[in-house]
Amino acid sequence: MSEASNQLPEPFNIDGPLNTIGNTTARVDAVERVTGEAKYSRDIKLPGMLYARVLRSPHPHARIRRIDISAASSLPGVRAIITHETAPIVWGAGSVDGGRQYNDPTKEGTQQRRFIFNNPVRCVGDSVAAVAAVDRTVAEQALKLIKVDYEELPFVLEPEAALEPGAPLVWPEGNLCPDFRHNYEPMVSNLGDIDAGLAEADQIFEDRYETSFVHNAQMEPRCALAHWQGQKLTLYTPTQGISNCRHDTARDLGLEDHQVRVVCNFMGGGFGNKNQNQDADLVAATLSKAANAPVMLEYSRKEDWLGVHGRWPTVQYYKVGVKDDGMVTGIQMRGYSGMGPYRKNSGGISGMDAYACENRQRTIYPVYTNRTTSGNFRAPAEPHGFFAVESMMDDIAYKLGIDPVDFTLKNMNRPTEARPYTNFSLDECIALGRDQFDWATRRRVTPGSDEGPIKRGAGFSFMMFRAGVGTSSAIVRVDSNKMYTLFVGVTDIGPGAKTTMGMIAAEELGIPMSQLEVVAGDTDRCPYSVGESGSRTTIQTGYAVMQAAKDLNQQIAAKGMPSGNDVLIASATPVPTTDGKIRQCFGAHFVEVEVDTRTGTTKILKYTTVHESGRIINPQTAKDQIRGATLQGIGQALHENLLYDPASGQPLTTGYYRARHLTHLDVPEIEVTFIEVDDGYGPFGAKTAGEAGIILAPAAVANAVSNAIGKRMTSLPISRDKILQVLL
Amino acid sequence: MANDKHIDKQGEVLTQEPLNPKQRSRRDFLEGAGATAVAGTAIVGTAIPGLGISTANAQQSNPSSNPKTSISLSVNGRRHSLQVDDNWTLVELLRDQLDLTGTKIGCNRSECGACTVLMDGKPVYSCSQLAVWADGKAITTVEGLAQNGRLSPLQQAFVDNNGAQCGFCTPGQLMTATALLHNNPAPNAEQVKQALVGNLCRCSNYSAIVEAVVSIADRGGVA
Repeated sequence: MSEASNQLPEPFNIDGPLNTIGNTTARVDAVERVTGEAKYSRDIKLPGMLYARVLRSPHPHARIRRIDISAASSLPGVRAIITHETAPIVWGAGSVDGGRQYNDPTKEGTQQRRFIFNNPVRCVGDSVAAVAAVDRTVAEQALKLIKVDYEELPFVLEPEAALEPGAPLVWPEGNLCPDFRHNYEPMVSNLGDIDAGLAEADQIFEDRYETSFVHNAQMEPRCALAHWQGQKLTLYTPTQGISNCRHDTARDLGLEDHQVRVVCNFMGGGFGNKNQNQDADLVAATLSKAANAPVMLEYSRKEDWLGVHGRWPTVQYYKVGVKDDGMVTGIQMRGYSGMGPYRKNSGGISGMDAYACENRQRTIYPVYTNRTTSGNFRAPAEPHGFFAVESMMDDIAYKLGIDPVDFTLKNMNRPTEARPYTNFSLDECIALGRDQFDWATRRRVTPGSDEGPIKRGAGFSFMMFRAGVGTSSAIVRVDSNKMYTLFVGVTDIGPGAKTTMGMIAAEELGIPMSQLEVVAGDTDRCPYSVGESGSRTTIQTGYAVMQAAKDLNQQIAAKGMPSGNDVLIASATPVPTTDGKIRQCFGAHFVEVEVDTRTGTTKILKYTTVHESGRIINPQTAKDQIRGATLQGIGQALHENLLYDPASGQPLTTGYYRARHLTHLDVPEIEVTFIEVDDGYGPFGAKTAGEAGIILAPAAVANAVSNAIGKRMTSLPISRDKILQVLL
Repeated sequence: MANDKHIDKQGEVLTQEPLNPKQRSRRDFLEGAGATAVAGTAIVGTAIPGLGISTANAQQSNPSSNPKTSISLSVNGRRHSLQVDDNWTLVELLRDQLDLTGTKIGCNRSECGACTVLMDGKPVYSCSQLAVWADGKAITTVEGLAQNGRLSPLQQAFVDNNGAQCGFCTPGQLMTATALLHNNPAPNAEQVKQALVGNLCRCSNYSAIVEAVVSIADRGGVA
């Protein structure tokens, strides 16, 4: 472990909890959540509200020759019908070159535009028309009266097949998605000299990995309630970013931002598929305008599965050069990401950046297919990439007779003088996890060496993930009764953002939580916030809260507490930096599994996680973020998939049972340990926690299964059939 | 037309009796509901589902013209006597007519358990019960757990143990766990998992939920 001597000095470990931060605190809205008082978007009713339904394509690829809405229009109770002919509205965030979802110029330059209704339709479930009617029954009846004359077109489902000559074209320009400069080229990143690196190696290892489409599958299906009052649109919609949703909706509808109000007080999960605005918002708004009444659009579970998005499926080819002593000299990866028919997000495949090897080449082909759209899911580019590259490295370690943990400690990324970190604790995470888990005992030095049909094995994975700082806004106010109000444009999508923001404010203000009200989830009441995506809320909006509170404290010190009807108000929109240093969170997972080689069933016996996410704001919610994310990763590793019938292009596993989501009975105990550090950045040193856990789980589980059965599992999910197949 | 099919089935099952929705079997209902789910998305062009809505009635479009049945039931201890459309599910009755929106619709097809309520003390998926089947029953929803403004011990345990992340599955988890605790005041973790297997949580906050339920025994209280 001579590399360890390269480490920069560790920052100080933190002492005990502060006054509020570091103490487990019940959510500020916990009572509403357990009494049913919490109003989610679909719970809101407005007088005269209509109900809307969407007609969707039954074909994977078809041109619409003609839509006849006459019979549907004359059905009593129908108030509005819109189609691609009558509502040619571009959904800017639905397809954006390079997947650059927060970049307006890129969106404007995107040529392969996605409309709220498209012709041709490019996947089963693509939207064709929408109806608003007096009730759900009439709306559903009207859908059946819309006559659509389809000309079926050839389709392609698999990304590699889509790039072959003569493949059916999803877009006329070809099936390779354009990059953010609108060029039809793969995403290539080169570091060092890959040819020299591979030439330097004593051994070359190559393999192919693949990962499945995994639906976000949040419990709350998509919906949107649109209400126009004059030229102002109010949207009650489940979104992971009210500010972004407002801006995107305004742009798509040709409005100014201030003409759109987005309200989301409670939100039933998203994990990345409720970022920005969604087509449901635009469809509801357009129907509402046409019908001159509030419109509630509700997606069914199946529509949510096919009409929103999930994690992109990938195929990844690796070529790794290694010295006989286990030092990696070159990593080459060629990857294919199936984006469905629209480029909603990047299609990224990360993971190899976690290795220090200086010769790396990554080429990713984001590819259009006639599957449902792919997009962001909790750590969008990571779990599938870390699974493949860490499986590859695990395999190499065993082939060289090296403990995979030692192999990692030899090869993982570490700070250098050229690449300093705000702090680096991966060594500590790995060391602590290895001890707690008892790695030496549980690992099979010879994979698959257990006697008998039931075999045990252990797997390990590690990760480093962005925890960068950035801008956001907050406002805090105090009145003469010493009651404080914090205005933040966050929505609580599950991790507890309202509470976290309140705790940061209370800490900085030196007040108990009971003296503070948190106002969130409404663009007309709250300032800009970055949105609950990219693990940014705690770090970025939390930092703004801290700065606003500091300002208010200074005002109170200078002017005294307000009296009478007076209030003091402070706002902050800081633009923090990390002084050129890399800021990441770190983690290591260790898992023991038992595989029944007669049935192919995998059971998790022990799961140990160690994470460094800076200072922990709210210990219980942070722990549950890691546990929940880890379980989602286990589901990705063992079960979840969206299978298609190759002959018909029909999706087969559109729901919880079919995709085999984890239930209470599938859940092992996930042990969580945080190494707490304050690196001096972010609010009180807090870092990323929400996405961290899912990154490691597929790699750790896959490595454990391979260790148990002695065969490398290269395809997710590691379902029973695949285990039985490799053991044949 | 599906209406014909419906009559066929009615003839087959009820031997020419006039349609009495209260007598329809769950299987009949689910077949109809399945057709609604598919046809509702118009992904497969099946015919109009037979849920007691004839095409003629639909043409009149006035929701109040749908076939109706008078029922009386108790919800959270309050008696209601009302006319319900025969095609309403129990969750629609609760959410749309009685404004009890605490009960959530996650899948509307018996997969997720977000809509779980208690019917005569037993947990049922209210998305897969017709409203007419609730005639004469006592229904408890999440709004009925707190008494006189005081959270039930189970609700308090969810508050203290972070039992809700996004909170969308929470009402269903609470209802099933409440039924469990009435039968078994001190369940162990394995028993809680067995009881709650039909309540999915995509936040995967399963461990916190189980810990909250198990803690009830230590709190010395029934649900």
